[in-house]
Amino acid sequence: MRDATLTLSGARRGPRATTNLGMVALRQAWLLAVNDLRQEARDLELVLTASFFTLVVLIMLGMSFSALGVSAQPLAVPGMLWLSVAFVGALTLSRIFNREREFDTLRAMLVAPVERVSIYLAKAFVTLVILLGCCCITVPGLALLFPAAQPFAERPLETVALVVMGCTAYAGVGTLFAAGLASSSGKNVLLSVILYPLTMPSLLFALVATRSLLEGHASFTTYLGQLTATNVLAFVVGAWLFEPVLVGVPQQRSARRASRRRR
Amino acid sequence: MSADALLSLRGISKHFGRLAVLRGVDLDLQRGEIVGLIGANGAGKSTLLSIIAGLLPSSRGTRTFDGSAEGAGSRTERARFAVVSHTAQTYPRLTATENLELFARLRVQAGVASEPVGTSLERLGLGYAADRQAGTFSRGMLQRLALARALLGRPEMLLLDEPFTALDRPGRALLASVLDEERTRGSAVLLISHDLEALVSVADRIVLLEGGVIAGSVGRGDTADGFAEGVRDLAGKMPAVGAAEAHA
Amino acid sequence: MNKILPFAFLGAAGMIFPYSVQLIFLQTPIEQQMGTVQKIFYFHVPLAWIMMLLAVVCGVAAGIQLRRDSKRAEAISIAAAELVLVTGLGVLITGPIWGHATWGKPWTWDARQVSTGLLWLVFAAYVLVRHYGAAGSERLAAGLAIFGAIDVPVIYYAVKIWKTTHPSTDVAGSLPSSMWAALWPALIALLLTSLALLMIRVRQEMTDVALDEAWIGLEHDAASPNLAAATGDA
Repeated sequence: MRDATLTLSGARRGPRATTNLGMVALRQAWLLAVNDLRQEARDLELVLTASFFTLVVLIMLGMSFSALGVSAQPLAVPGMLWLSVAFVGALTLSRIFNREREFDTLRAMLVAPVERVSIYLAKAFVTLVILLGCCCITVPGLALLFPAAQPFAERPLETVALVVMGCTAYAGVGTLFAAGLASSSGKNVLLSVILYPLTMPSLLFALVATRSLLEGHASFTTYLGQLTATNVLAFVVGAWLFEPVLVGVPQQRSARRASRRRR
Repeated sequence: MSADALLSLRGISKHFGRLAVLRGVDLDLQRGEIVGLIGANGAGKSTLLSIIAGLLPSSRGTRTFDGSAEGAGSRTERARFAVVSHTAQTYPRLTATENLELFARLRVQAGVASEPVGTSLERLGLGYAADRQAGTFSRGMLQRLALARALLGRPEMLLLDEPFTALDRPGRALLASVLDEERTRGSAVLLISHDLEALVSVADRIVLLEGGVIAGSVGRGDTADGFAEGVRDLAGKMPAVGAAEAHA
Repeated sequence: MNKILPFAFLGAAGMIFPYSVQLIFLQTPIEQQMGTVQKIFYFHVPLAWIMMLLAVVCGVAAGIQLRRDSKRAEAISIAAAELVLVTGLGVLITGPIWGHATWGKPWTWDARQVSTGLLWLVFAAYVLVRHYGAAGSERLAAGLAIFGAIDVPVIYYAVKIWKTTHPSTDVAGSLPSSMWAALWPALIALLLTSLALLMIRVRQEMTDVALDEAWIGLEHDAASPNLAAATGDA
């Protein structure tokens, strides 16, 4: 039995095993995401509360800014879109992880033979799905309320790409910290304290890209590319930090260091 | 150190700031052995369980699983043991079958074997409720569901935190017989419980965690006047209510 | 860390600072467009550089803390984060004063202002999480510091394409050499002060950790002397 373990742990470090590890992580992430979405489909709690909240935000925005001149609207509409994403995102993230905390299921997942990165990817994916669902209300709503937001309807493909990219960035950063707070039995107030400054760069890129979309600039694709690059950065760092932030240092290293010190 | 112990803890300490919860725990867990862990509230039983499960790094000391001190809580290691917490840790909106199926499929994706879900449910007497959502289960049923999930992977080591609390008399008998089967299979079981009577009926050895160390241990057949009597003496060393908290 | 070094640094800074002040106010020509207010540049720019440096130090230390579970790295990261708040406050106060003289407006939402402000917010969040977070939140705070340090250039670039009116770096490069000469002593004095404060704060944190351990050791010995002898070397 001991030999079997040795070969197993040895195999994990090999190059073939690394690609294997990636595949395992992706497959497990997919299983976890489907599992979460299946639960959501049973009672629609997240979808309904988040979309109701989106609707309220949209109505408030409409009431506050309906008198805005058409020339000022291209400056204001991007802010409305991404502020509502930021608000709904914080709400969704804290609810997703509160649910895990209520039934202590995150802990069960952490002791199961599941790659921790898979948990990160799955939760980020679910957050993204909910956020996109909410954008299905916000974007057409803004296009109806503000004439300057018409390009959303005229250039649907670009709009979809923009919204997907912007929400992905938010989900990537947010999942790491929401999970960290949920596992350290911390206070959820801290989530917004952490989330808003950190997601700002991605939201700024999204803001710039949205404005150029509304104004019909050719630079839109450049900005979208930059937004995509920040997404990649956010996900790489998020995935890398997820396990150390949630459960701490992999023990083998500290154990090895301790034995070296003893010698 | 007994070389054949599946799990071996040496000098495990854990402090949170100035609060020392564990101060040098030495504990061995053999294959085919059921060890009961008792201790007052706040003695650090759950902290110790988290360290054994690799969820919490210890401040000092070594933890050896199957001869290796490295990779505590790595995925390969996690595939070989299972934890049943005092909360059921099940998804309330999923049926019993779906709850187990998720973990079974996660195991398969990780390249390790899993028992058929149906067999596991039957074994714990939940076959009749297989398609009911876990949210409608009683606490005792949830406890059994959590145990069924833990047994899916035929764990070499089973860590149980207060598994008796929510169970009725038949439930306890069932748990006792399941643990007996696991012991026969060669699994090592660590059992945290306040229920001395239940522990005496299943455990081979009972250890007392007190003041952050293993303060005493009684084995079946160690004492002339019987295991139950020995355990009662051991439990008598526990401080009165509130003393452990004051000490910490 | 050495006990005397921080005080040596503070002493050196104390000697350089008066020299730098007289250099700035008496020997450097007054800038024609902005007038005397431009003098604040000699404090604003070094503070901003030091703040960026400390932010990077904090992020790197947090990374080491996470990977190696190092108490020293954790102490450095805490100290650096708190000093980012202090120097950042200096930057955010001197900046608008200079800005008011240059652009007639204290705050113009340009890249450097916004990225400094956001950086300050990130590290304020770090300090908040460390203060109010539950057990285990030190790792969360470390993640925050790493993200924060990485965010800095991204924010800078993001705001830059959003809007730019700040005097760009080539303006600073074209300053008369006498102005540069006055900048260096100020930078050295402020840097030495920050380093000294950093070291003192790190020492405080390390003392705190040592105190905790001594406390635990004492309790440990009192509770079970023979056990302490057996595991004392661990």
